[in-house]
Amino acid sequence: MAILTRRSVVRGSLGLIAAGTFARPFIANAAATTAEVWFAQGFVPEEDAAFKTMAAAYEKASGNKIDYSLIPFAALRQKAISAITSGVVPDMIELADFQLGPLQAWDDKLTDVSDVVEPVKSQYVQGALPCTYLYNSVTKKRGYCAIPMKIAAVPFHIWKSLVEKGGGKIADLPKTWDAFMDFFKPVQKGLRAAGMRNVYGMGYQLTATGVDPINTFNAWMIAYGGQGLITPDGKLHSDDPHIKEAVIKTIVNLSTAFKDGYVPPGCVNWNDADDNNAFHSKLMVMDFDGTISTEVALYHEKEKYDDILTHGLPLSNEGKELPSQVNLFGPVIPKGAKNVAVAKEFGKYMIQPKVLNEYLKAGLGRWALPIPEIVKSDPFWLKEDPHRTAYTTQSVLAPTMPIYEAYNPAIAQVGAENAFMSAVIAVMKDGAKPEAEADKALKRAETIFAKYPIASS
Amino acid sequence: MTTASAIDIGGPAIARDSLWRTLRGSLKSSEYVWALAFLVPYIAVFFVFVVYPAGYGMWLGSKPSLYLDLLSDPIYQSTIVNTVLFLGIAVNLKMFCALLLSGFFMRPGWWVKGMLMIFVLPWAVPALPEFISIHWMLNGEWGLLNNVFYALFNVDGPSWLNERWLALGSAMYAHIWKNLPFWTIILLAGRMSIPTEIRDAAKVDGATGIRSFLYISFPLLANLYLICTLLSTIFTLGDFNSVTFISGGGPANSTHVLATLGIRDAFDLANPRLGVAAVMSALPVMIPLVIILMRKLKTAEVQL
Repeated sequence: MAILTRRSVVRGSLGLIAAGTFARPFIANAAATTAEVWFAQGFVPEEDAAFKTMAAAYEKASGNKIDYSLIPFAALRQKAISAITSGVVPDMIELADFQLGPLQAWDDKLTDVSDVVEPVKSQYVQGALPCTYLYNSVTKKRGYCAIPMKIAAVPFHIWKSLVEKGGGKIADLPKTWDAFMDFFKPVQKGLRAAGMRNVYGMGYQLTATGVDPINTFNAWMIAYGGQGLITPDGKLHSDDPHIKEAVIKTIVNLSTAFKDGYVPPGCVNWNDADDNNAFHSKLMVMDFDGTISTEVALYHEKEKYDDILTHGLPLSNEGKELPSQVNLFGPVIPKGAKNVAVAKEFGKYMIQPKVLNEYLKAGLGRWALPIPEIVKSDPFWLKEDPHRTAYTTQSVLAPTMPIYEAYNPAIAQVGAENAFMSAVIAVMKDGAKPEAEADKALKRAETIFAKYPIASS
Repeated sequence: MTTASAIDIGGPAIARDSLWRTLRGSLKSSEYVWALAFLVPYIAVFFVFVVYPAGYGMWLGSKPSLYLDLLSDPIYQSTIVNTVLFLGIAVNLKMFCALLLSGFFMRPGWWVKGMLMIFVLPWAVPALPEFISIHWMLNGEWGLLNNVFYALFNVDGPSWLNERWLALGSAMYAHIWKNLPFWTIILLAGRMSIPTEIRDAAKVDGATGIRSFLYISFPLLANLYLICTLLSTIFTLGDFNSVTFISGGGPANSTHVLATLGIRDAFDLANPRLGVAAVMSALPVMIPLVIILMRKLKTAEVQL
């Protein structure tokens, strides 16, 4: 056995350091063909399998390696924020919510991917593209900061059997907004009379966490004429009386339905998936929730799957078609990524229309394809499944508008604080006055917007 | 031009030599190098795993403007109230119950030992499934508790998690239920270490039952009880699970405590610096607690 001496230890250590130094360039070269990618885990195994197949196909075609992790979306958001804050980032992160991208783009933390998006952008839903065309407060310019892959809107989900058991008929579903909501009130009464003690006509998140309550508030506000709360130039129009009126009407409508007992009381404390769970357990007849994950989760339980009706937005109370707010989800390349070239190449591969179509189809169509021409020509999207047909029509073919966050990230902070839904909660739980709460929420929005000035182009 | 005297030149050299000797102690030169070689890994580990994370956290939360943002946030103000209530009520109630229960578990009998085994289960089982099942039990519409109310009395119970004080109380209940066994065991061990001779002597003098507790057990346990209460306060200040998994900080962010608000600010608001600042704002309470604890631990060396 060799005897350790001070000299031998020092000599050995120096040798190791030298070997490491000489080997480093070769290790770096080897890693230059590998991209570290974080993607959101799907709601169903088919979504994850679809991503793995796409990544394997890219590896085979390019010779590069995609070192991916599929992470539940809430954990992915935390990981993404931690990585971007510390500066130790992977080469690609899928942003699975609609607040983080605009906020990080504002802070100049995302690589411009215009060269990836430009070749295919003419094929996309034009009304949705601004979702990835974000403002950078350092360069004072907008640019494509995310690679658009999946389009999502918020449809209604309705148990057909509960409607009928409650004495209603699906064919009688009203076409306009308020009448559509009121339809479920007698249905609830009918179900209670039939002995179902804990069942509610309507279900939506009236909570102050997550993005679902923001979707709910925005959809109601747009239905009541408040579409112009934020305009594409990034300006907030809190002083517009029409906007204020729409905000008050939304607060009144949502809080009254709660106070009258047509919404499950627990919805004030729901987390993201709680409304899905409540709907699946038939706690309510109707739910308003993003994507068709509610239906897809029951894909293998045919009877239940077929018992759900997926329904797009009703018309406004004046009978006009309403635009659905949509978001384009997709990955970003954070600044500081080591292998930007491989990440961009992988991005270009993923958004080739044919590749993207096959990927989203393999994921059971939970996310719609943002390319109208393929949607119209591939029977998968509009002909084979009633849920997909309704959802794809709403997200891709019917009128759409981008989420407000695309115009100004300030609304992302307003949303993260859930300023508007907090107003609804104050009215329905503390008996506050809707007008006063609307003023308070709009004032808070003004304060936040003052921190996010956007230069006019 | 000034000239240096022999003493001026020799002074620093002597000082350097004496510093060198102080550092080396009685070690010879080769021993000194080996001592350093063995010490360096420990210092490196200490820096990487203790100094760096703590320092990085402090750096993240070092901007004074963050604390102004916190103070202007109404959710932070209600969080401070919740945190004080949580610490004041949950910790003291838990420790007092633990003190009483430790007396009960001192009783002889196989069934007492059996009950102790069952009693320890909530602490031994992982927290997450327990808290999730309590959360479900408390669900206003379909939870077990309200269904039992309805079955027994034909009335609907309250919405436990939809009102601020009920939801905060539910989170406190879950915290106490989860941690009570641990502190009971600690105080039980304390009671068992009281020499039986003292009790026997007290018995001879006529001190039994409540008198024995007041004049024998409690004075001897007082220091341990105080240390346990201080430790529990420090642990509870960082307790994230009880609130997150029972009330989720809701309704409308009204039941947050500092530990959960930090996570909410860091990740829901995508502002990690603000999240760190929220947690750091507990330091003015935390540091005195640690100092008192250290002092008490010193006195504990000579007491029970």
